[in-house]
Amino acid sequence: MNRRDFFRSAAGAGLVLGTGLPSLCSRLSAFGEKGGLSHVEARYYRKLPDREIECELCPRACRLGDKERGYCGVRENQGGTYYTLVYGKACSLNVDPIEKKPFFHFLPGTNALSLATAGCNVNCKFCQNWEISQVRPEQVENVDLPPRIIPAQAEKYGCPSIAYTYTEPVVFFEYMYDTAVEARRLGVRSAVVTGGHIKPEPLKDLIGVVDAIKVDLKAYSQDFYTKYVRGELKTVLETIRSVAKSKVWLEIVYLVIPTLNDSAADIREMARWVKNEAGDRVPLHFSRFQPLYLVKNLPPTPVSTLEMARDTALGEGLRFVYVGNVPGHPGENTYCPNCKKTIIQRTGFTVTGIRLKGGKCEFCGTPVPGIWA
Amino acid sequence: MANSRVVIVRSGGLTDPGSPAEQARILKMFSRGFGLLTGEREERSAVLSVFRPEDRVGIKVNTIGGRAISTRPEISLALAGWISRNGLAEKNIIIWDRTNRELRDAGYRLAAGGGGFHVFGTDTDGAGYGSELVSHLNIGSLFSKIQADLVTASVSLAILKDHGLAGVTAGMKNYFGAIHNPNKYHDFHCNPFVPEVFDSPPVKGKHRISVLDCLVVQYHRGPSFHPQWAERYGGFIFSLDPVAADRVGWALIERFRAAKGLPSLAEEGREPAYLLTAEKMGLGRADLGGIETIEETVP
Repeated sequence: MNRRDFFRSAAGAGLVLGTGLPSLCSRLSAFGEKGGLSHVEARYYRKLPDREIECELCPRACRLGDKERGYCGVRENQGGTYYTLVYGKACSLNVDPIEKKPFFHFLPGTNALSLATAGCNVNCKFCQNWEISQVRPEQVENVDLPPRIIPAQAEKYGCPSIAYTYTEPVVFFEYMYDTAVEARRLGVRSAVVTGGHIKPEPLKDLIGVVDAIKVDLKAYSQDFYTKYVRGELKTVLETIRSVAKSKVWLEIVYLVIPTLNDSAADIREMARWVKNEAGDRVPLHFSRFQPLYLVKNLPPTPVSTLEMARDTALGEGLRFVYVGNVPGHPGENTYCPNCKKTIIQRTGFTVTGIRLKGGKCEFCGTPVPGIWA
Repeated sequence: MANSRVVIVRSGGLTDPGSPAEQARILKMFSRGFGLLTGEREERSAVLSVFRPEDRVGIKVNTIGGRAISTRPEISLALAGWISRNGLAEKNIIIWDRTNRELRDAGYRLAAGGGGFHVFGTDTDGAGYGSELVSHLNIGSLFSKIQADLVTASVSLAILKDHGLAGVTAGMKNYFGAIHNPNKYHDFHCNPFVPEVFDSPPVKGKHRISVLDCLVVQYHRGPSFHPQWAERYGGFIFSLDPVAADRVGWALIERFRAAKGLPSLAEEGREPAYLLTAEKMGLGRADLGGIETIEETVP
């Protein structure tokens, strides 16, 4: 099943409430004018002799000569000045349930205006959105959507938040940052869905303007990151640690891929690390893998594996552990850590009941961490 | 593995390849290059020992460097013309790269249809990238429809340049311009990605000849143009062995670097390891001892 078929069948099954990516063009056009590439100077780079530059946005630290592009494919050295080619150039825009990101402790039951440009700074072999993340901006349809108009669009469509998602928002940092600043001015929140490959300085700046960050922790092994992500585990862990120390709401997703990152030992070690370094209040989602992109030889994750992962993490003391991409599974619900009653009930991306009052369990009054309103 | 042959043809003092006088010399260089490579005395026989008359030939140029350091239109058009006069139809020859913007910036005038040569980028309406991923070894890419579907035979007409990551960019890496995501294959000195892209069916099954444009060679701080490290060599490297062509190109770059007192690529920790990988994959010869190099100068 390819990605299109997956989305189609998922939508048919009522699992996807937002619009599937392939059908976005018409909706995008309704939001803005069709655009090419931007020519906005990038932040976080240093100029070197002979018109070379070194990017300081992500740990790849691409060193580029004139006319060269970074690994992300969306930032280009032009005559010794580094430019982002995707500032204000959205290739994807949807109204999605926030649960789709997934955020489970951040404005549950609301929609997020979900935004992306082309590009990514890793190359996950199992990427669900490779048709927009693993391409250069010339290879997708872009629409001019400047930061100043996005928060108003969010309000217009009844979205209390903007999600920077689908691809890797770090690569469109300037666009995301400026949009988040505008959004905050209007009282619209910002939620970032990232793989966590970002250097400390831009991360610190980002933390200052957004409200929630979800980090995809792809595995708890550098070997996996080398083979299947082309990334660096150490940086991702550092990002999680930094966000956890901040006031920004943090959630973590771990996509469980059969045979590749599903060992109980790795999951236990990862859960211990999360508890020690980020805290037991951080929601951890174990998501079900679907065979896509370059990993099509493996089956979807057995539900029993996801349950094992969840039980393992709960056993290590994490308080909010979820099963994802298994609609109707009880592991989608939020349970009060004290009285164990169901306080948020979900089916797929739909919230069917919330039993919280002022951020506390309606049954026993225990505070539940999150951003609830 | 049998020895591979590489032919270097030079002509001194080329400064204006578009002028009629220099065009004549360039054509003579093609003639000698193909002739010495194939052992054929007649131009037509030489061309038809590389291509079939019915082939649709893609001449993949490298235009990322703008006017200063790209495959010049005067060269690619001259090659297309010379091939067409020796047995192939003009309408069956496509000079191409990944984008029309880069072609234009390098001085090309785009042309599609009209009975003559075609000159266009993959981003031309009606071209684009294939919809099915080609998954080959460590590569997962969409290929340009020009390379994958339109052409039946392919020439890598690349510029020879130093490359900060790969060590050298020449005929093999030129095919990075045939995939949608070359930016993803620059880790580990582009190794094994350069040989693996080359080894993929859309390239390996069609590549016929490497012609390296060495009129100006960027031997340091490439692939961008830096005039202080660009040598006016005035030559072409021809080979049916893509690995051997690049290997001889590397040797040339090392020669220029040594002459300027620059460290070797190995000393800078960026010798083109992809060549050894390519040899191990059976794509050609990477050891100079196994390469017969013929040099000739055209007056």
